[in-house]
Amino acid sequence: MSRLTAEQKIQPHWWRKTLIGVVLGLSFAYSIIAIFAWYGPGGIDAPVKVQLNMWLVGLIWLLCLPFVYLFKTAGQAFKYLLIANMVGYAVFFALRTWA
Amino acid sequence: MKVRSDILRTYQTLHTWTGICAGLVLFIGFYAGSLTMFKPAIEAWATPPTHQLTQIEPQRYDALIQQAYAYSDKAKRSLTVNFEQDQSPITWYEQGGSRGINLGNTLTHATLDKNDQLQLQTTPRSELGTLIDQLHRTAGIAGKLGDEDLGVQILGIAAALYFIAIVSGVIFLLPTLVKTLFALRTNKGASRFWLDSHNLVGVLSLPFHFIIAWSVVIFAFHHPLYDGLQAIYGDKPLFAEDPAESNKQIYNIEQLPSIDTYREKVAELAPGYQLKSIEFSRLTSDAPTAALEVVTDNQLMRGGFSDFIYIHAFTMDIAYTSIMPPGENSYNTIVKSFFALHFGNYAGNTGRWIYFLLGLMGAFLFYTGNLLWLEKRRQKSPQQTRSSKFMAALTVAVCLGSIAGVAITLFANKWLYIMGTSINHGYLWCYYLVFFATIIYSFSRGAAIAAIHLQQLISFACAGIVMTTVVTALVPQWHIWSTFDTSTLIVDFVAVVFAIIFYVAAQKTKHRALNGEENSVWYIGKTPVAQPALNLAESK
Repeated sequence: MSRLTAEQKIQPHWWRKTLIGVVLGLSFAYSIIAIFAWYGPGGIDAPVKVQLNMWLVGLIWLLCLPFVYLFKTAGQAFKYLLIANMVGYAVFFALRTWA
Repeated sequence: MKVRSDILRTYQTLHTWTGICAGLVLFIGFYAGSLTMFKPAIEAWATPPTHQLTQIEPQRYDALIQQAYAYSDKAKRSLTVNFEQDQSPITWYEQGGSRGINLGNTLTHATLDKNDQLQLQTTPRSELGTLIDQLHRTAGIAGKLGDEDLGVQILGIAAALYFIAIVSGVIFLLPTLVKTLFALRTNKGASRFWLDSHNLVGVLSLPFHFIIAWSVVIFAFHHPLYDGLQAIYGDKPLFAEDPAESNKQIYNIEQLPSIDTYREKVAELAPGYQLKSIEFSRLTSDAPTAALEVVTDNQLMRGGFSDFIYIHAFTMDIAYTSIMPPGENSYNTIVKSFFALHFGNYAGNTGRWIYFLLGLMGAFLFYTGNLLWLEKRRQKSPQQTRSSKFMAALTVAVCLGSIAGVAITLFANKWLYIMGTSINHGYLWCYYLVFFATIIYSFSRGAAIAAIHLQQLISFACAGIVMTTVVTALVPQWHIWSTFDTSTLIVDFVAVVFAIIFYVAAQKTKHRALNGEENSVWYIGKTPVAQPALNLAESK
């Protein structure tokens, strides 16, 4: 592994990355669970499923938090999480409209 | 395993700062959580055995219940039938209630004598187990934030930081994990020893820590998380309406089904489970409820110590049950497993002892984490930085102060009864007085001296718990404690173990303070002058 230059290294950007992880991580978690809630096993009406959904939103959110710091800059973290959100909600609304 | 150095540095920083921010409240949450594994035993230990009245034969419960209803309107509001041998057959709240924390809770116990005459006794209810549970859930932080406990919310945030700390800790350990996991190097200085034991305990109990961190975040923030889900569910209600609500009929209390009928219902709904208690509520209203508390030793249970089935007291229609036959609803099974994995209730008392140790190991993890933070910042001179002294004093005060608070509260319990004071208020006074006194002491005398004295204090308090049990059993004036249930002696046994552990630890701490590394916040050495943790003059 060759030595990384200063620009190639991860920039700290602690506060911005944290904020991005908390906000966009949560909305991303909801987009995944939205798809699972409606189209996962049992559909939207399966009893007790709402509780699992709530637990899983928390889990996906928590998993986003430590890994948001892997992005090189806060800007990249924002960009990729925004894309992930857009894809998640696009799939969800597409399914809701046409499925 | 190779990991890029900038990634390692990022996660090391992350691990350090999330750990240092969350560690102290989590320490309290973990060690108090260990104690709550034995909440029923602690409550039984804390309650004078004379408060419990004699149990009766199974076929006489119905007569007793009807007599109690005829006697008291408060019993009609809510009455609990207990089937366990060492408890009164029935109790009801004379004051207060089972919801939330109520320091003025007063219970009336009732039984039948040989001639079927009602025997009554009204006594204040010891909330010691509930208060330790509250300490576990809030770290002792009082106050409300809207409808939620402020302490629960703070622990929720701490648990999220703790989740980050777990992941980042594992990541920055990856390069050396395989080589050094089981290396416990005692010959390379205190710092290396603490680091090795911190890593060993952390990695080996990783699954436990993962489920605890996740579940605590959920326990704290389930309301807002459900609110968010409502947007996804749209017009669909999150929870189905209670079907029992359509029935508005009011029943006569004499028509209450017999206890045997409820036992049959339990056998049908929860085969293999034991009926532990039934709580009848609002029997004279249009929503009469029977809450059946059922237990088993080898299943995942939804509550801390039991499963629950709520039924209409007269028609026996199910309103809610936490037990569903396997295969019928796998979502229920999955969600229940999260709760059970937090509560450690799926393997009887063996499982509880394992959780007890895991909890203490968790507390150890946070304590050693703070020690490592201090070691890293150690200056190569007798004068240590202000932040090191502050953190050392705070760590010692919060961790040892909280343990000392609980130990002294347990020590005071029997004396509070003998003095006839309001026991539950007494518990709170004991805990908070000791806790705040240790904070003042630790900051005024410095961490090194406070660590020795506080460990001695804990050791003496634990020894005092046992001596109190012995002394009160022997002196006839204190007869309320003269007979005791031998099953609660486990509390005294654990107190002996802790008295010894803290005594030895205090000796070792003292030895290091006098003979150890001189350039350290823990050094007292030849100049036993108090070094205040916060001395404004020093910082200049």
